[in-house]
This record gives sequence, C-alpha cells and structure tokens, in this order.
Amino acid sequence: MAQGRKGRLNYRCPACFMRDLDIDMFYDKDRDEYYCLRCQFTGSEAEVLAMNEQIKKKYKVMLKRITVEDYDD
Amino acid sequence: MDKFVVNIIHRPEMVPEYAEKVTGHGKAEDIGRKALLTESLDIFRTQQRCAHENGLKTTIQMTYASLFNDEAVALAKEHHEKYGDEIALTLLGLPCKEFREKYKTKDFCIWMFSMEDKRAIVRDVFEKFRERFGFYPESTGSYYMDAELINFIKAEYPSVKCAVATCWEEGPKAYHTCNNSWYTFMDGGPWAPWIPSKVNTHAPAANEAEDSGIVAIPHLSRDLLACYDGNGSNFGTHPQNVLRGMIYDSRTWEFPYLFNLIDQYRHLAKYNNGYSYNMMFVGPGWMNKMGRWEAPYELLLKSYEEGCAYYGKLKREGVLEDMTMSEFADYYRSKKTYTEPECALWRDILYGSEKELFWYCDPYMRACVNMDQGGAIVDLRPYAAKLEWPVGIGTPHIQDASYPFLIQEKYRAGYFTHYAGEGTVRSAKISHNGEEVDLCLCRTKAHFSKDGRDRILTLDPVDIEFEDLTVKLQSVITFTEGSGEIKIERRIVEMSDPAAQVQIQEYMVGCYGTTEYAEDMSSLTLKIDGGEAPAAIPYEYKCREAASAGADSVSCTLPPIRTRVTLTARGPEKSGFVREGYAFSPMFTLGYTGTLKDKEGFVTWLRVERAD
Repeated sequence: MAQGRKGRLNYRCPACFMRDLDIDMFYDKDRDEYYCLRCQFTGSEAEVLAMNEQIKKKYKVMLKRITVEDYDD
Repeated sequence: MDKFVVNIIHRPEMVPEYAEKVTGHGKAEDIGRKALLTESLDIFRTQQRCAHENGLKTTIQMTYASLFNDEAVALAKEHHEKYGDEIALTLLGLPCKEFREKYKTKDFCIWMFSMEDKRAIVRDVFEKFRERFGFYPESTGSYYMDAELINFIKAEYPSVKCAVATCWEEGPKAYHTCNNSWYTFMDGGPWAPWIPSKVNTHAPAANEAEDSGIVAIPHLSRDLLACYDGNGSNFGTHPQNVLRGMIYDSRTWEFPYLFNLIDQYRHLAKYNNGYSYNMMFVGPGWMNKMGRWEAPYELLLKSYEEGCAYYGKLKREGVLEDMTMSEFADYYRSKKTYTEPECALWRDILYGSEKELFWYCDPYMRACVNMDQGGAIVDLRPYAAKLEWPVGIGTPHIQDASYPFLIQEKYRAGYFTHYAGEGTVRSAKISHNGEEVDLCLCRTKAHFSKDGRDRILTLDPVDIEFEDLTVKLQSVITFTEGSGEIKIERRIVEMSDPAAQVQIQEYMVGCYGTTEYAEDMSSLTLKIDGGEAPAAIPYEYKCREAASAGADSVSCTLPPIRTRVTLTARGPEKSGFVREGYAFSPMFTLGYTGTLKDKEGFVTWLRVERAD
C-alpha cells in the first residue's frame, strides 16, 4: 500500500471541522478515499463534499445580505 | 457625518506562511526555492492590483525577506509614487534563507524571541529597511507586539507611530483549531484601534504618562460574536478566512457574510461618536496558486477581488475613507481621548440566533455583556491593573500574551449546566417562596445610549415566572468613562401581585487565568468590609462562606494578576457575602442579597483596580 498523499485541493476532515478542528486529510489512491489522521473519518470525495454542505447548515443566514440599514436600534 | 476608515495592508512575504508546507507537500523543505519566491511576489502584485483598481491606497509592509529582493523593493517604491501607498515594515515574514543563517532558529514570531534577540532583530530589520529606502518606517507590526518590544522600537525608531499589535481573541481557540499546534495566545485585547500602555500592550493607556507612543490596530476586524464563540480564523474581514469557515455557497461562490461583516463594523459608528474602523491584511499564503484547502485559486482570487471592490464601492459612495496606517495614526490621535471607550453592540449575522453581545473597552477594563443571558457579564479583563506581563523566551510567558480574565464563560463555564460546581459569570438570581430564577435564563435585547461620560445599556424587561407570581424586571448597565466601574441596576417594573416581595442575589463568580485550565488560587483573599460581620477568608479551597448584613463592600484580591475586584451595593436589606471555592470548583463568589418590592430597584457597582 502506497503512502497517503494530498490532492491538488486539500480537503479537511469534515468530522473534525464540525468540532472546530482544521485537519488536512490524506488520500489513499488504492481505496480511492480520503482519511483523517486525527479521527476515524474515511470517505469518498462525494461523501466529503456532502458533509461539507451539512456543516454549512449551522450558518442559517449565511446567504442573507444584512446591511447597515438593517440595524434598527 | 460618520467616518468609516479602512486600512488595507499587503506584505510581500517571500516565504508565505502555509505556502511552504502546503504547496511543498511531498518535497523536502527548501525556503529558498525559486518557484516559491516568484509566486510570492506575483501574489503581492495581484493584491496590490485589486486595491488600486478600486481606487484604494495600501500600506505595504515590507518583510525582512523582501528587503533582500530588488524587485519587491522597486515595486514598493513605484506604488508609493504612483498610488500614495505607505512603505512600512512588518516583523512578520522573518523566515528566509538570510534570517535562518543569521539567527540559527526557525522561530518567526517576534514576540516570542528573547529580549536580546528582539533588539538584535529589530535593529537588523529597521537598518536594512533604511538601507533600501533611505528612511525609517512610520508603521510596523506583527500578530502581536509585546510592550517591551514596542517600547524598544519607539525609543530606537521614534518615527514609528502605528503598529499591528494583536489579533482579537486569537488564543486557545486558534490553538485547538490547529490541532494544538498554533502558538498564538493573545486573547483579551481590544478589537478596534487603541493606544497601548507602556506596561501591557493589550491594556489601553489611561493618560499621557502611560502612552506607548504608538497607535495600535488589530490584525483583522473580526466578528465579535462568531470569533468569541469559535475559531477566530473563520470570521473576519479576511476574505479567505471566510472561505476557511466554509461560509459561501458552493455552487455560486457567493459569500455575502463578508459584506455583512463589513457593514456591521460600519454600524459601530453609532456607538463610537460617529467613527468606525476596518482593516484587511491578507498574507500572500492565502492566495496560493495551489488553492487553500477546499478553495481553488480562482475562488481565493474572487474573494479578494470582491472584498476590495466592496471597499472601493463604499469609497466612491463617500461613506469610506481609505488611509495608510500612518495617516490613520494621525487621524486617531486627533480625535481620541485616552479614556474614551470603544463600544460595540454586536449582532449575530451568521447563525440566525438573533443573539446580541455588547463589548466595552477602555483603559480600565474590557467587558462583554451577553443579552442572551439576561445581560450577564460573560468576559471581564481588568486592564486597571496594567499588568506587567513580559512575553517571550526568558520570561515566565514564552508564548502566552493573553491579558488574564476574571470571568470567561467559554474557558471556565458561564451559567452552570453541569453536574457539580460553578461557572464564571456576573449575573443575578431572583427568588420567591423557595423558587429561584437566574437572569442568565432570560433572553433579552439591549438599547445603547450615551449620557455625558456614561455609556448605558438599557435591556428590554424580562418576565420571571414563579408558581404564584410573575415579575417584570429590567436591567440597566452603565459604564462610566474613566471610572473602572460597571453599575448594574435591576428594577421591578411590574408584579402580578403588587404587594409581593422577592429576594435578589447579585453575584459574580470569578477566577483568573488565560486558558481553560485552573490556576493556583491559594494567594487570593476574600473580604467583606463593614456591616454587622466583616470577614476575611484567605483562600484554602475549604468551601467557606461569610456574610455581613449592611456590608460596605465585598472583594477579592488576586495577587497573581495584581487585581482587586470589588462589589458595592445600594438597595433594601442589602447583605454582602463571599464564598470560597474548593478543589473541584475553585472559583470564588462575591455577591449581595436584598429584597425588592414593586417599582423598587437594587443597584450594584463592580469595580476593578490594581491591587498593589
């Protein structure tokens, strides 16, 4: 089994990101999966991207524009 | 008219942080790689272009490494001539072949070096700068600049008038985010520009005698709620930090949060006599051609271009003034008095919680009031002590530059929800017929006003429901400029039974520290002055309590941070009390109890001062 590598884009572990940890994952080309050295997460690119979308759900107003005029105090 | 000032700062960092480790993965370390140097300069050029295309001037902070690069020096001179950019000097970006060979170390954070090395490096870098440009810089900076360092620079190079001197709430949270590898511990400082004292950078100067001689600016303008709660490096006026936090639409690459953040900073003018401030300081490593984590280069570039475009748009609309750092220092000195506080009633603009925090900072304290906890004080830094806190190798604090807290709800539990113990917070409990309600559980909103030297936070009244009584209670929190005191008034606005009486307990649970972990409290002393039973309890973790009806004051003296915190009160049947902690829950408690009837009020003053 060859060593883990970083891809062109370095995905972070989505499970660790959810607990405020930025951990680069490594890619295992034999198994076509990313894996985390810090926790037990493993997943395909599609799984990583799907979990990244889950992460964003905590930002409920992430896409709402809030301007100076919205402060009414 | 309100004035919104922005500083845009770029640094030609020939070996950008992150870039060597990230782009160099799979290669042996070589910080002299030609490809790395070429790319670094290209990024600097791109950042400069983004600013200039939008009519914005910048402060070019030359790094030590860039002073050895003719092209970088020539670019700085050209942009100074053409765009009015300031040529300044940063103490970031030290790593380069020349530095490593000379100083034989991989350390790169100026505040962590020994004082002897700090002096040598500063002289080296400043003289090299003069050799290249023919003058000494007026602005400098790093992520943190300790007081001894600033004092030395100001004495040796009096032309320096402005410095990037801290990064707001970058401390244990940032350390954890990097899997306990990022040693930047600098919690507890101001979030907006200030004049540092000679003794402690984080504590603003109270007068000319304390004035370090520079105007300090924070590294980034950060989200005063999201950064306090989570990883600071995701929520600031740093477009790539916003991408780091994944705060963008993956399909459209839109990130309105960045503009919301800028706009909330604009709104802070309302609390600060018509002035507000922003800074953007993105190191070139964040615009790496290889991309950064999930974000490809194209997105990194887009975010920076659009960030600059928004500042440029605001400038064209006449609501923003771009300044260089030295211009800003002159402006700030012209409008600021030493004791004038910085205030921010900050709203959640990301999670949809509608939470509000109020931040107050002056030469005597930094305090955070949490409206989601009924106006509890959830963070308190006693600047009044002007604590001597040398930082770096050879001092007791090699890495830890944070200003110690008395209250910190994230590191030492706030309102307590766990099995046994106490959490640090300043709140009040209302009780009636054996039932008790803590105001921390009464969510509310605040309204800011200014009256002379008072900054007043008037909270919407909250309803406290007992089994047989409903009480409508209002809190008014007053910060009086230059006093070192926080006045809190609780008033019964209405009761379902106008003849009823309730008990009030005003309390502060405190400790000291800069991290999550407990410090030795053995040297602390709790004291009750006046009243029927004055008392003193030297701390021995014995869980002792004392109370005195009619007490004049209750206090705790904390020698390790040379601070005394005192509560005084005015109200019906007031009685002061103190409680000693125990090993499992070492925090102390100061407080007053009293009674309240309809329309009556109970007032307390929390005072912080230097203890010796």
